[in-house]
Amino acid sequence: MEQLAYAAYGFYLVLILAGGWAAVRCRDLVRALLGLIMTLFGVAGMYFLMAAPFMALMQILIYVGAVSVLIFFAVMLTRAPGGDAGQEDEERRPARRAVLALLSGVLPAAILAAVVLTQSPQALALKPELPLARLGQMLTGPYVLAFELISVVLLAAMAGAVVLGFERRKGA
Amino acid sequence: MSPLVLFHLAALLLLAFGLYGLTSRRSLVGMLISVELMLNGAGLALVASARLTPASDELGQLGTLLVMGLAAAEATLVLAMVLVAAKRWGSSASDRLSMLKG
Repeated sequence: MEQLAYAAYGFYLVLILAGGWAAVRCRDLVRALLGLIMTLFGVAGMYFLMAAPFMALMQILIYVGAVSVLIFFAVMLTRAPGGDAGQEDEERRPARRAVLALLSGVLPAAILAAVVLTQSPQALALKPELPLARLGQMLTGPYVLAFELISVVLLAAMAGAVVLGFERRKGA
Repeated sequence: MSPLVLFHLAALLLLAFGLYGLTSRRSLVGMLISVELMLNGAGLALVASARLTPASDELGQLGTLLVMGLAAAEATLVLAMVLVAAKRWGSSASDRLSMLKG
């Protein structure tokens, strides 16, 4: 069974790697978005592997269902006049930019990876699956303030988006 | 390597991808995609720490749920801002947005 878990981990890791590569390298933004969705599914699989099925389903529902549709709208609505939707501009000095970006991406991750590899505590055996009712109790009990605040933040974000997108009528 | 380290390394991979994309992308939508990658890595690391260490399981999962909610709010707001920028400058490339006062 343990071998099977490692095989599943490897599969999800390949999904994350391939999707992440497409998400950051494809010049076509629709392909980059498809890469992001692939990565999101890979992360959802890792949640399943950790016996957190609620998190996995929320990941698919919120990220794949809502956030990626929003990003797709952004791709669709921002095309340059006369240009194709979702193409990035040509690079002036692509190699230099790629090397600097690689440095800025890999360096912090490598430092953190060194910390993880040397300082990580011994992992426990997987705890029993958390019942959904327990999450609900926590959310309406000790963490009710965070729950209310996130709804206020969401409301403010929606209102802000409407205000920004609002077009004033000419002559009014 | 223990499962905890493996999951944390996957999360760091997502962080590296996100930072790389954020610095190398030229369009605002591409940068938004990279930010979502990084937020996903944060969620993965949180849930892994909650599930595989003596830390509180509920706290980690609820934290990740809040991160997902914040990501949704952030994507909404960024969509509106990108639309405004595209309307005003005719493009959503980040290099065009160098004006302080339009």
